[in-house]
Amino acid sequence: MFSRLIAASLLLAGIAASPTHAIDSKQIYQLNQERVFQVRVLNRETGKKSSIGSGFIVGDGSQVATNYHVVGQVILEPELFYISYVGKDGQEGELELLGLDVARDLALLGADKPIGEAIKMSPLPPRGAPIYAMGNPLDLGLTIAVGTNGGILNQTDDSRILFSGSLNPGMSGGPTFNDQGEVIGINVATARNDISFIVPSKFLNDLIEQSNTDAFSSDQDLKLEVARQVLAYENSYIEQLLENDWPKLDLRQFNLPGIISPTVRCWDNSAKLSTIVRYKRYQIRCANKNHVYLDVDNKFVGELTYEYFWLESEDLNAIQFYNLYENLNKDQIDSKIDRDIVSNFNCRTWFVEVSAQELKGNLCRREYVEYKGMSDVLFTAALTGHKNQGFFITLIMTGVDYSSTLPLIQKFLEQSEWKP
Amino acid sequence: MEALILEINTRGLHRYEQIDAEVTTIGRALDNDIILSDPTVAPHHLKIIRYGENSLELVNLAEVNPTRIDNRRVDSLVTEKLPLNLEIGRIQAQLLPRNYAVSATRSLAGKGKSSHLFGHAYWTVILVLICLFVGGLEFFLNSYTSFKWSELFKHVLRESVLTIGVFVLALSILERLLVNRWEIRQLVTSVCLVYLLYYFASIFTYELSYLFTANWPATLFRFGWHLLIIPGAVVLYLVHISHLKRNRSILLAILIASPIAVPSILQSPELRAMLDDFSSSARYQNSLSSLNWHLKKTVTIESFIEQAEDLEAGEFAD
Repeated sequence: MFSRLIAASLLLAGIAASPTHAIDSKQIYQLNQERVFQVRVLNRETGKKSSIGSGFIVGDGSQVATNYHVVGQVILEPELFYISYVGKDGQEGELELLGLDVARDLALLGADKPIGEAIKMSPLPPRGAPIYAMGNPLDLGLTIAVGTNGGILNQTDDSRILFSGSLNPGMSGGPTFNDQGEVIGINVATARNDISFIVPSKFLNDLIEQSNTDAFSSDQDLKLEVARQVLAYENSYIEQLLENDWPKLDLRQFNLPGIISPTVRCWDNSAKLSTIVRYKRYQIRCANKNHVYLDVDNKFVGELTYEYFWLESEDLNAIQFYNLYENLNKDQIDSKIDRDIVSNFNCRTWFVEVSAQELKGNLCRREYVEYKGMSDVLFTAALTGHKNQGFFITLIMTGVDYSSTLPLIQKFLEQSEWKP
Repeated sequence: MEALILEINTRGLHRYEQIDAEVTTIGRALDNDIILSDPTVAPHHLKIIRYGENSLELVNLAEVNPTRIDNRRVDSLVTEKLPLNLEIGRIQAQLLPRNYAVSATRSLAGKGKSSHLFGHAYWTVILVLICLFVGGLEFFLNSYTSFKWSELFKHVLRESVLTIGVFVLALSILERLLVNRWEIRQLVTSVCLVYLLYYFASIFTYELSYLFTANWPATLFRFGWHLLIIPGAVVLYLVHISHLKRNRSILLAILIASPIAVPSILQSPELRAMLDDFSSSARYQNSLSSLNWHLKKTVTIESFIEQAEDLEAGEFAD
C-alpha cells in the first residue's frame, strides 16, 4: 500500500444553508465544527481509548460516516470494544455499526437519536481546486488542512482522490470540503509530504443508500461480512482484468502481459550491469495499488503483483548458471503474518508447456483463519531446458477467492509467448 | 585341573592373572594372591580351589557385595564348566581355561600394501589434493563474478582445509586418549573420504530432488548423513583402524557424531517444520537442474489449471 492510513476525525461546523460563493477555511471550520466528531473505539473493561479517528454527520442526522479502519477493532473483537463519538462541545454518545464498505474503507455508524444536521455532499470539484480536510490529528483537537484536488486516481480503481494537503493520524474518517463547504470526500490515508488520499463522497452516498435498503445487524458475524465484501470486490476486479485486452511487453525472448489494468504500475527492477558479474539479469515488477485494508494488524489484501525475471549468461557454464538460477528462484509473498491469521501454505508442482517451452510451475495457497473463503495465492514458473537462459514469472494475489485466480493464471500463461 | 586364567575387566581395560596354585584368594587386602583395589571389593572376597584335573570350587567370602557367578549370587559352587562370568564387587571378571580360543589377529589396515588406501602415505597425499581440488571446484561452480585467485584460496582454506583439519585434530586427540596412539595419516585419509562422499552425495541428492520433483531425497540425505553415514564411518574407522571392539566403537561413534548431528538436525527445516507447525513462507519445490531430468510429465496449460482446482490450502496451526 503506497499510502499510510491516517487516524482522524474532523468536525464540520453547522452550516444552515450552503453558500453559493466560495468560502475560506476559517468559515468552513466555523460552519462545521459541531458536525465533525472524534470517533473513538473504547475498551468495555477499561473504558479507555484503543484507537481514534474522525467522523461527521450524514444521512438523517443520526448517522456518522467514518473509515472502516477507524472502527476495525470492533469488527475483530465486538465483545470487547465499542464505538463512541465526542464533539467539540463535549457532546458524546455510543454509536453502532450500520454499514461497511470495506473495499473503499468506509463505515456508517448510527446514534440512538439525531445528533445534528447532516452535511451536504457534493461531487468532486475540478482538478487544482482548493479543498479542505477536517479532523482531529493525534488527539490534539479539531483542525482543518488546506490543499488542492489532485483528481481521482485510476490506479486505486477510482476509490481515491489525490489531496495535496497534509493529513495526519487521527484525521481518518473526517470530511473533505469543497470551497462551498460541501463534503466531496472522506479523509483516509497519507503518504506524507503533503500527499494524501480522500475517498470520493459518491461511495459514501452508495453506502448510505444501501444501509437504508439492506438491513445490517451489528450483531452478525462481522468478519464474515468483511470477507464477503472483500471477495465480492476482488472477484469483480479479477473479472474486469480478464475482460481487458492486455497490452504486451517484451522481455528478451518472451512477449508477456504488460500493464493489464489502470490499477497496475510496472517498474524495472533489473540488476545494474557490472563488469565483475558474469550474467545479465532483467526484471520487471508490476503491482496494483488498490489494496484493501483488512484489520488492525495493518494487514492489507487485494495485492496483485506479477514479476518477470530474465537471466542469461554467455560466460557461465550450465552448472554455474543453474546454481545461480536456482538461488534466485525463491519468490515469496512479502508479509510477516501470524499463525492466528492464516493457515500454512500448501504447494504443488507441475511442469507446464507454455508457448512450446517447458516451465516448472509451483502453485501455493493458504487461507485466512477468520475470513472465510479468502486465500493468498503464490504462483511461480521457471523456464527449464535452456543451458544459459533462465526466466521466471511470479504471480501473487492476496485476499482472493482461490478459484477466481485460476483463470487469471491461465490467461497469464496463455499470453506469454516465446520468441525463437 | 590345569592352570586357569582370570581375565579382570576394569573400566574397559583387561588384565590377566594366571591361577595355578591349589588355593587362590582374591580380595582388596594385601595378603590375597590376586589384589583388586576397588572399594566395592571386600578385603577377602573370593576363594578359588582347584580339585584334580577337571573340577574347581568357588567360595564367596564377602558379606558386603557378595560374589555373583553367571549373574547369580552363589556362596559356594563346585563346577567343571568354564568359562565363568564373575562379578566381584563392581569388577567384571571371567574365569577361562588356558586353552581358551582368542579372536583372529586383525590386519593393520593394509599397512605396507601400496594398493590399499590406508597402506601408503601417497594415497593420503592424493586424497588431500582431491579434497582441495573439490573445494576449489565448489567455489568455481558457485562463483558468478569475475574469477579471483584470492577468493578461491580463501574458500578452499575455509571450506576444505579448515573443515578437514578440525575433524582430524579432534579425532586424533580422541584416538590418542582411547588407544594411546597417533594415527594421523589414516585419520586424514578417512576424513578426506568422508568429505568427498559428502560432496558427491549432496550433488546426487540435488539431482534426485529434481528428478522426483520432491523434497524427500534432501530430507533423507540430511537425516541419513547425520544419523547413519557419519556414525557408520566412525565405527568403521574405530573397528578397522583403531581396532576397538564393535560395541564400544558404536557407542563412541554416537558420542563423536552427536555434537555434529544434534545441532544440524535441530536446525533442519524438516524438524523445524515438525516442531513449529506454522510458517508464513511458501515451501515449494524450487530446485532447477541443467540436466532437466524429471519423472513428472509435462502438461498443457488447460490440464494444469484443471488439476490446480483441487489444490487445498495448507493446515491451520494449532
